[in-house]
Amino acid sequence: MRKIAYREALREALREEMRRDATVFLLGEDIGRYWQGAFKVTKGLAEEFGDERVRDTPISESAIIGAAVGAAITGMRPVAEIMFGDLTSLAMDQIANQAAKIHYMFGGQAKVPLVIRTPFGAGVNIAAHHSQSLEAWFMHVPGMFVVVPSTPYDAKGLLKTAIRGSNPVFFCEHKLLYPLEGEVPQEEYTVPFGVADVKREGSDVTIVATLYMVHKALNAAEELEVEGISVEVVDPRTLVPLDKQAIIDSVKKTGRLVVVSEDCKTAGVSAEIAAVVAEEAIDYLDAPIKRVAEPDTPIPFSPPLEQYVIPSEKTIMKAVKEII
Amino acid sequence: MVTKVVMPRLSLTMKEGTVGTWYKKEGDSVEKGEPLVEVFSEKATYDLEAPAFGVLRKILVQEGVDAPVNAVLAVITAPDEVVSEAEISAEIPKAVEGVEKRVLASPAAKRLAKEHRLDLSLVKGSGPEGRIVEEDVRRFIEITSGVLPKVKEVIPLSGFRKTSAERISLSFKTAPHSTVVMEVNVSEAITLHNRLQVSYTAILLKAVAKSLAEYSIINSTLQGNQIKIFEDVNVGVATATENGLVVPVIYNADKRSLEEIDVAIKELTEKAKQGKLVNEDLAGGTFTVTNLGMYGVEFFIPIINPPEAAILAVGRVVEKPVVVDGKIEIKPIMMLSLSYDHRIVDGAPASEFLRKVKKKIEKAMLED
Amino acid sequence: MIAEETRKLPLNLSKEKNIDLYRKMLEIRCFEEKVFELYAQNLVPGTIHLYTGEEAVAVGVCGNLRKDDYITSTHRGHGHCIAKGAQPKRVMAEILGKKTGYCKGKGGSMHIADFKVGMLGATAVVGAGLPIAMGAGLSIKLRRTDNVVACFFGDGASNQGTFHEAINMAAVWKLPVIFVCENNVYAMGTRQSTVMLVKNVADRAVAYGIPGVAVDGNDVLAVYEAAQKAVEMARKGEGPTLIECKTYRHKGHSRIDPAKYRPKEEVEDWLRNDPIKRFKERLLETNVVMEAEIQQIERKVSAEIEEAAKFAMESSYPAAEEALQDVYA
Repeated sequence: MRKIAYREALREALREEMRRDATVFLLGEDIGRYWQGAFKVTKGLAEEFGDERVRDTPISESAIIGAAVGAAITGMRPVAEIMFGDLTSLAMDQIANQAAKIHYMFGGQAKVPLVIRTPFGAGVNIAAHHSQSLEAWFMHVPGMFVVVPSTPYDAKGLLKTAIRGSNPVFFCEHKLLYPLEGEVPQEEYTVPFGVADVKREGSDVTIVATLYMVHKALNAAEELEVEGISVEVVDPRTLVPLDKQAIIDSVKKTGRLVVVSEDCKTAGVSAEIAAVVAEEAIDYLDAPIKRVAEPDTPIPFSPPLEQYVIPSEKTIMKAVKEII
Repeated sequence: MVTKVVMPRLSLTMKEGTVGTWYKKEGDSVEKGEPLVEVFSEKATYDLEAPAFGVLRKILVQEGVDAPVNAVLAVITAPDEVVSEAEISAEIPKAVEGVEKRVLASPAAKRLAKEHRLDLSLVKGSGPEGRIVEEDVRRFIEITSGVLPKVKEVIPLSGFRKTSAERISLSFKTAPHSTVVMEVNVSEAITLHNRLQVSYTAILLKAVAKSLAEYSIINSTLQGNQIKIFEDVNVGVATATENGLVVPVIYNADKRSLEEIDVAIKELTEKAKQGKLVNEDLAGGTFTVTNLGMYGVEFFIPIINPPEAAILAVGRVVEKPVVVDGKIEIKPIMMLSLSYDHRIVDGAPASEFLRKVKKKIEKAMLED
Repeated sequence: MIAEETRKLPLNLSKEKNIDLYRKMLEIRCFEEKVFELYAQNLVPGTIHLYTGEEAVAVGVCGNLRKDDYITSTHRGHGHCIAKGAQPKRVMAEILGKKTGYCKGKGGSMHIADFKVGMLGATAVVGAGLPIAMGAGLSIKLRRTDNVVACFFGDGASNQGTFHEAINMAAVWKLPVIFVCENNVYAMGTRQSTVMLVKNVADRAVAYGIPGVAVDGNDVLAVYEAAQKAVEMARKGEGPTLIECKTYRHKGHSRIDPAKYRPKEEVEDWLRNDPIKRFKERLLETNVVMEAEIQQIERKVSAEIEEAAKFAMESSYPAAEEALQDVYA
């Protein structure tokens, strides 16, 4: 099968959906023909669809999301890009209070088919305002889906599902994933929400990981295999809705759980997944649940500092061995 | 003043007791000397009396719970006295060692064990810090599958049963048992029974007591490197009750008349049935007689009641053809079996002793 | 404050249109008075923000809108709903938390929407409606229809960042949005002059390169006229307008706020300047309508609102477990 990069997979999804449905349009800062997106996801799209549908905006995050909300409730399917995940805080009211609540608050009258795409993640030395992983903020807002694709295949399939849906979708990407290549079929497909993917089968320990951490978990699993420890890596692919059953099924098989997430440990993604397993599958655990996440600090700049806080293959392996 | 109500030491060997019914509630006033709480020790029930006048301020050990000797069971204070919770809680006894020992096992191991009604303390753990993990339980089940029966009900071992279990296993583990068996013709004993209207048990006990007095190596105990031979001949009678086996003791049985022994046995048996035996009725035995004849048992091999040296088991009386002076006659025959601590005596003296008992019964040599 | 009155109505509106404007304002007034009455009887859960005194704004603006045009609204939104054509009985039912309300009891007084009449909903976050209205304008532009959006917000919202972001974006993209600032002098208890140095909110339009007009918000025809111009511009694709309507709320900010921060004379002045009273006097003076007609309208409106309240009160509450429905579409 052909291999394409994560960013190309996203672009294909956008292109195909824009061709398929005239109500789909893109807006965001520097996504148009001049810059083509900070991470080049929208490259070439303005040329094909015009500046109206691939719309550069002023630096006004709140208005970008507000515009998407207003458009979504009046018949359009906007895909808004926030250049860095950290900047979603500027649009938090529009995301959390407006986009996510409109359907409920107005008794189901309005649909809000809107996608917010944004990159999270540390590792490229751009410090505290451009490196965070804030998925958990959005998991805490009912009414919105939270999507976390780790591969080009998942990225394309999930983005198509997001665009075609009837609900606001917070679509998390990861800076380090954009150049990552993976198999993506030529033919049309979508990936449903709420269906986890077992990225590697194993029998001794379950690692649940998302986004870039999936790859670190896979590397760690590879090394642990050599040491005779069989690791299963489960990628939920969407955090809301969360495929609890897949995680529980894997834990039932292995009896051990390590959750790897790039966000801060306190009240983070890993906390939620650990809580689900503790609440619904504790009787299948053979050891305490381990969380490998970032310590509760802002992301520091200097490379050794930054590397220290990001979960690594080493810290993942250590956690696994602690419960074997 | 805070007066502590403690678990009494009701015998020299007692380590812990079980709290029974509290006769008073927290806050009740108590008179010094009035019964406060029932305590089960070893094989007795004992009414513990209030050690002071005042108010039963706090019960620290609830009914059914074991507590070591000297553990504080409750506190009594003067009627208006203010006592802090800290002062009281400082008195709470530590859990009896071994009773509450936690088995370290993972939730998954616990679930599997529960599904198979398996006692996790039987399983060896392979996880970190010896934690039992699911795989350990699975392996245990595989190995023992078809061997271990499924458990229907779990009855915690406590009170009499626990004491009994501990004592019997102590005896069986430490004293090498050997048993000698003899048939006894009880024709004369029957005549005596009819004549004096005393029980067969009394007759038997008298025969045993007299034999012990004459052959005192059997009336002894082994303590460390010393065999202590008792002067007193205190014969215990194993008695089945609803709560288990108790052994009330007939003191100085060798010095008491058959009639006196008979009366003493009747009294003790009655008290035993009502659970009213007190420590004095139970302590100080030097030898035990146990009888399962009423259940149709021919003979059986008893386990010595520690720290005694031997025990005599009595089977049923059955009429058998026996050869008397070259002729077959029908005689009432009973089997006696003597288990003895082989560390103290060997087969010959044990047999010698048993022959004495036999002879005394057969010849009715029981009156002083 | 009060515009020079003339003996003749300034706009050449038909009699029906004039009556319609009057009737709508009256409907809102009666409705709000009824809400207050029910609130006083403890029949309204939570809080209320009444539109009493500001009726000319919603009615003057919405008088220019078609059914398929949009509006966005605020926490003080009952009047906007009714002006845009929502049914008073279902608005009332929502305020009472009933299943028959527009939002099935999920929104309440501060979150009423009726998408069927283009009422895109009230947001209770001050200033949050501006970007949404702008987005609806973007949607109209992309779908190439000639609809417009009227975005209602208060003087308080004009100090939010969203005001700047949304108006700028609407201006730069020439979106068909009419930003209607209801300047009722106070943001809760904060007097506008203490938080703004420019005299008029409308003056800020200059910063975005769009027209900004300040009008007497208690003169329904003045509002109507300003809105008419703005709507025409918007429909033609010439971009947004900022209209500031100077008005006053008769009641306090919410619930039973006694509004003691307002000078007595100021309140009395504005009560004399009641938009409904003024318009009624002008209608009578100019002989557009007769006293008898007015009385007939008043009786009818009053009866309708009574009916709406009855409907709301007799409606049942939603089943508790409906709380779990409608989270996702």
